[in-house]
Amino acid sequence: MLIVFVSSLAILFIAYLTAISSKDLIRLLISLELMFASLFLFITPLFLMMPTTAFAVLILAVFTSSCELLVLITAIILTDRKRKSIDIECASVGGEAK
Amino acid sequence: MDIIASLTVVISLFAVLASLGVLLTRDNFYAALYMSITMVFVAAIYAILDIQPAVVLITLIFIGAVGIVTIALAATYRAVPTRKINLAWALPLIIVFGLVCYVYMNTTGGKIEVIGSNNLIAVPYEYFFVLLLLFSVIILMMLSAIKFVRGSRL
Repeated sequence: MLIVFVSSLAILFIAYLTAISSKDLIRLLISLELMFASLFLFITPLFLMMPTTAFAVLILAVFTSSCELLVLITAIILTDRKRKSIDIECASVGGEAK
Repeated sequence: MDIIASLTVVISLFAVLASLGVLLTRDNFYAALYMSITMVFVAAIYAILDIQPAVVLITLIFIGAVGIVTIALAATYRAVPTRKINLAWALPLIIVFGLVCYVYMNTTGGKIEVIGSNNLIAVPYEYFFVLLLLFSVIILMMLSAIKFVRGSRL
């Protein structure tokens, strides 16, 4: 199971690096999905210890991922309509100013 | 090392390599494809460990719905941006990754044992062929998406 943990952490760090280096919102969405894939890999040993709990966690994670995809698709389309671009610079939050 | 452990190691390595493809490719469409391939490998690890409900859930919803929609979205907003990765970010990631691996290897002991494995749904081994067909269909869908995008570019 060590290799599963290591692989999961490696995928998670790669997803973080992709999110940090992303230049557009699509790449950011892809990196978020990759983080969920890492999560799925990480809970594999939980299936061997507590299968029912692990399955509940998996269902929650899958539905969270699906909802996140729907919300982000809507956000990307709205951003594209409003700003005519999906660059990451378009997404400024929290009073961020250039 | 038995066959299950060997397959787990090999498929885990493939999953990491596919996720590296997400990081290294500049085209969003191929990044989405690599992401879906990573998900396929994650589902394959579940299949090797014979956790069939999770395989079906991940394959149908996470790959079949989320992955394909992401591929379609990346193909729609297809652009090849000039992306620069600041390699300085890789150093703290490598340090943290090494620390986590070191702490895990030094603090955990014993084997993980299967408790209550009867709680999982018993699935006959012929189900493997159904899974094989399912993964083949997913790969065919990805290949047809590649063909569609390349055809529209010509």
